[in-house]
Parts: sequence; structure tokens; C-alpha cells
Amino acid sequence: MDQTLDRRRLLATAALGGVVTATGLGSLAPEAAFAAEATTVEPGAPDPNFAEGRIGKITGNMLLVTGSDTVLHSIRITDGTSIWKLHPTTFDRVAVGDGLYARGVRLPDGTLAADAVWVNIVNLHAHIAAVGRNVLHLDHKGRRIVAHVVPDRSAAVYNGTPAVSDMSLLRVGRHVQVLGAWHPDTNEIDIATVYAAA
Amino acid sequence: MAALRGEVSWFCCGSAWGPCGSAGGGACGTCSSGNYQHAWPNTSDACLAITRPHACGITGMSRRGCGFRHYTTNLCNGARVGTAIADCGPQTDLFCGERTCCGSACGSNRIIDLTPAAYSAIASLSTGLRPCSVNTV
Repeated sequence: MDQTLDRRRLLATAALGGVVTATGLGSLAPEAAFAAEATTVEPGAPDPNFAEGRIGKITGNMLLVTGSDTVLHSIRITDGTSIWKLHPTTFDRVAVGDGLYARGVRLPDGTLAADAVWVNIVNLHAHIAAVGRNVLHLDHKGRRIVAHVVPDRSAAVYNGTPAVSDMSLLRVGRHVQVLGAWHPDTNEIDIATVYAAA
Repeated sequence: MAALRGEVSWFCCGSAWGPCGSAGGGACGTCSSGNYQHAWPNTSDACLAITRPHACGITGMSRRGCGFRHYTTNLCNGARVGTAIADCGPQTDLFCGERTCCGSACGSNRIIDLTPAAYSAIASLSTGLRPCSVNTV
């Protein structure tokens, strides 16, 4: 059976109230899951199966999201939806005011049945302005970002070497890429991974 | 252009929330996080002077303008996405020699940045960086 169609049918079933077990969707490893998605969007065009914005309301398993372009999205969380908010997490950790990117299957009624939701995720290219105790002060497009080191979570990747928890090699003035989670309505983030050149 | 092997990451642009709010429409003025678009290091002389892929020993990175289409393959899973140029980037020279692998599939140096819509079609946004190949067909 075609894996893509099978996955879409499972998502649609879940979105319509059916039961999808973790095993049903979990049979695909994360990388394999993305490989299984068909790509039919024209280069340059918007993807109807993708949404971004801020959560205005949570009703049951539905997120009502206002896109940054003011378009409204209804995003349904199913048993098979993977949720990331600094860590892989659960629906109860998602809050009104959070920002998100979501990918899934657009149903006939316009709802997006979410395959994956990334909550408050940011991927910033910045310079290190200062280094404090468990915090990096970043210059990002002329604005200051306060990036917190989260014990047992934050990691550094130095020039492609395996990720380590040791941030001591980060230096003021160096360019970094910081993958992390934004604290809504602030200039602060929690660090997931810092990529730094050697 | 022969297929170019390197690293792919993602960036936000257009209307956006949080720290991305100041991103703007990119060098082409059309960039949007929800579109299948990308940043390319050689869109103009001015762009190339910033990204400097040659400083990392990269050759064969052709001059391409706004709207030109590239096809990026995630070497971790074989997933592929087609995107159009909407910005200048990534700043390749800042990460010269950086190497990302999935098992034996590796890519060195940053050669393309995708929008969140495009990157999430071939990898989870939480991966941040993946080895890739980029082609024009």
C-alpha cells in the first residue's frame, strides 16, 4: 500500500474522530515520515498543508490560530500529531499566545489535521554580544535576544562535532545559529541547540 | 549546474511572529515562511560578497536570480522539495568546514536555506540542519 496515502487516511480518520494508535503512525521514524510526504506544491507557491501564526484559542483538540498575514487557521491535534516545544511534548503544554508552525493534511472543511506542530520554535542567526551564567546575549538583526541555557536540554554543536552540553567554547563576537523556543511576547528564548563555527 | 552537496537549514521571512517579526521579505521582496522558497548564496555580486562560499572552497555555485528554481534533497531520508529563490543566504563563510551527517550520508558547508514550509516538507524543523544535495532539475 502506498505509504503516503496510508498516512493521510490515518490522519483524516483521526481528525474526524476516529482512533489512531501511536503504533499506527509511530511505525514511521521521524525522517521516514517526512520522506513519505508527497510534494506537489509549485516552487515559490504557498503550501496549503502548512500553517503558521499565534494561537488565539484552544477548544478541545482544536487550535484556532491567527496567521502573521492575518489568515485564520483551524488546526486539529490528533493522536498522531507530534508536538515540539523545546522538547517533544504533549498537547497540554501548548498555550494561548504561543507561536507555531504546523504541517499536516488540509481537510475539505479547511481544517488542517496536524501531522507535526512546532511551538514557539525559532532558528536564529546571530552574534554573541555577551556571555553570562547560563545565558547568552545575542545580537539578532540589530536587536538583543536573551538566550537561556536549559539544564539537561541545551546543547552546543561546534563545527559539526557531536552535540555537547558544554557551552564554554562560545565566545563573544562569534556567529552562531540558535535553535530554540521563544518566550511569547518577550525578547527571550530557551536554547535547544547552538551551532557554532570552530 | 551539477548537483551540489552541502548543508541545508531554514529561516523565517515575511510576516512572522516573535524574533522573526523583523525578518521582512528578503532580498527579492517576496519571501514568505509559508511558501516554497529559499535563500541562495549567489544571487548578485553584492550577495556573493556577503556569503563568500568560495572562502570555503566551494566551486560550481552558479549565479541565480530571484525566482530561479532549485530542488533540495534531504540526504537523511531522500525527501525532495522544489523551491524558488527569494533571498540571499546563507552566510556560508561563517561556518566553513562545518559537517553534518546522517550515518554515512554527509554534507559540508551551508549552501541553501529553506523557508519553514519547504524545510518541513523534507525534515522536522527541530532538526535545524541536514546534509543535502541541491540540483536544478
